[in-house]
Amino acid sequence: MRIEDSVTRGPGLDILVDGRVVPAFGGETLATTLIAAGISAFRDDSRDRPRGLFCNMGTCCECFVRVTVPGRAARDVRACLTLVAAGMAVELARHD
Amino acid sequence: MTEPSVFDLAIVGGGPAGQAAAEIAIANGLSVVMFDEQQRLGGQILRQPPVGFAVARWMQGRAYRGVAAQLARATALTAIDWRGGTSVLGLFKRADGFDIVANGPAGPASAVATRVLIAAGCYDMPVALPGWTTPGVMGAGAVQAFIKSQQFLPGRRFVLAGTHPLQLLVADQVRRGGGTVVAVIFAQSAAAAVARVLADPLTAVLNASTLASAAVSFARLRWAGVSVRFGTTVARAEGRARLSSVTLQNCVASGPTGRTAGVLNCDTLALCFGFLPQADLPRATGCTVERDPATGGWATTHDAWLRSSIVGLFVAGETTGVAGADCALEEGRIAGLGIALDAGRLTVAQADAAARAPRARLARRRKFAAMLADIASPAAIVPQLIDDTTIVCRCEDVTRGQLRAAMASRGGPGGASSLKLVTRAGMGLCQGRSCEQAVMTILGETGRPAGFTARFPVRPVAVADLI
Repeated sequence: MRIEDSVTRGPGLDILVDGRVVPAFGGETLATTLIAAGISAFRDDSRDRPRGLFCNMGTCCECFVRVTVPGRAARDVRACLTLVAAGMAVELARHD
Repeated sequence: MTEPSVFDLAIVGGGPAGQAAAEIAIANGLSVVMFDEQQRLGGQILRQPPVGFAVARWMQGRAYRGVAAQLARATALTAIDWRGGTSVLGLFKRADGFDIVANGPAGPASAVATRVLIAAGCYDMPVALPGWTTPGVMGAGAVQAFIKSQQFLPGRRFVLAGTHPLQLLVADQVRRGGGTVVAVIFAQSAAAAVARVLADPLTAVLNASTLASAAVSFARLRWAGVSVRFGTTVARAEGRARLSSVTLQNCVASGPTGRTAGVLNCDTLALCFGFLPQADLPRATGCTVERDPATGGWATTHDAWLRSSIVGLFVAGETTGVAGADCALEEGRIAGLGIALDAGRLTVAQADAAARAPRARLARRRKFAAMLADIASPAAIVPQLIDDTTIVCRCEDVTRGQLRAAMASRGGPGGASSLKLVTRAGMGLCQGRSCEQAVMTILGETGRPAGFTARFPVRPVAVADLI
């Protein structure tokens, strides 16, 4: 849930998450954009149980997702440290 | 400004300690490069909104006044070569200083410096309990960072559970951001916390502003009708794709009783049992560290000028043991003076004179930090929340039961590193930061706790960026 009171965000932009269009704002981290879109599980573990972010500061690495931006090869990144960008495509490691 | 081929000082961490040291180093004519994984200066205590956001009334609380003033001064220091969004992967000693191997938004971002200061801060203590890998369970610091920087609530219905008074501030920030705080749950009794304050009233009075911030948050939560419970802790988290409820249990001085004390429906559980130093970089570099008896984790040992056991490598702030932003600020100042002293920019007499006031303030704040650590001690609680089905190592999905079985089948426990080879616990992307405490506790049940061997790289990096 984005806090609206007394906050002005960067320009709106869209990213793709597993092929689905997800709205974002410039300056947001990928973790924020995903959770705001109702995506709390970023991957499934070896027992097929969903996993989400724990630390939100780059320490736990639970928010690893695969990201492609135009003109660059796909990279595995920590969603909590990665800023969204126009044209960004995200692959989650979910099995359902 | 052209980048020097060798910086006089590289600082890892843009929080209060790093900022204070940078200010003093620059004032003494040293060139400074600063690395931080966040895009902007501030550290976790002052996680700034991104460039492009405008936030009226950002971080105006009394508790932030000192560090906010420091941030304003540090931001004005154009001489800092700021490397935001950059992860330091390792430090390597060379004859005349250190190679700093780092990775930034555009790939490798390494540098060379004569001296290094590690002021890497701390992180939410990971607390393994049944269901803690359910999406929506996170550290209280994670929730707070979303609010401070992203102006975002990572859920709608929040339960905060732990032992640390910080959860009052976070709950208050959640509520003011428009979220519902279902309850704030302290494992210890209110009487025990009050008794600890009353046992040292002078320290309490001298640090009244911090206590007042917690008291104001507590009062605001109560006026808003938020339930604040003591003597209760979380037993397990339930849900699949997202947290749906938490089950509570009663807690006494010796720990959780195991008796169920209700169920709360929520989509976010913020755990707040304390913090651990980010110790991977000093450990991987070979610094002498010791187990922090008060808060857990590894504190890097140092001398009176914050020199670590490695020549030219300084430490400050939570890297020396978790004690809060005010202590970090003073340690950063003392480290900055120590660095200027070793660089020949100050005499011993000058450095001593300049360090007198920071040292006096540090001594006072450390007493208060010790009081807080006593009040918030998770030692009797956290080890008892786990059961054999609980995942301990989140990266490799290793349960406590698997760890215990491995220990039994090998005819007795070795250290954490040998257990890692057998079970893969600690072998994942987080390098054991999430599971080491729990693994050591499990080993400690049979008497020989020792930590993992910290290795390069301390943050994940693509192989292509290293070669």
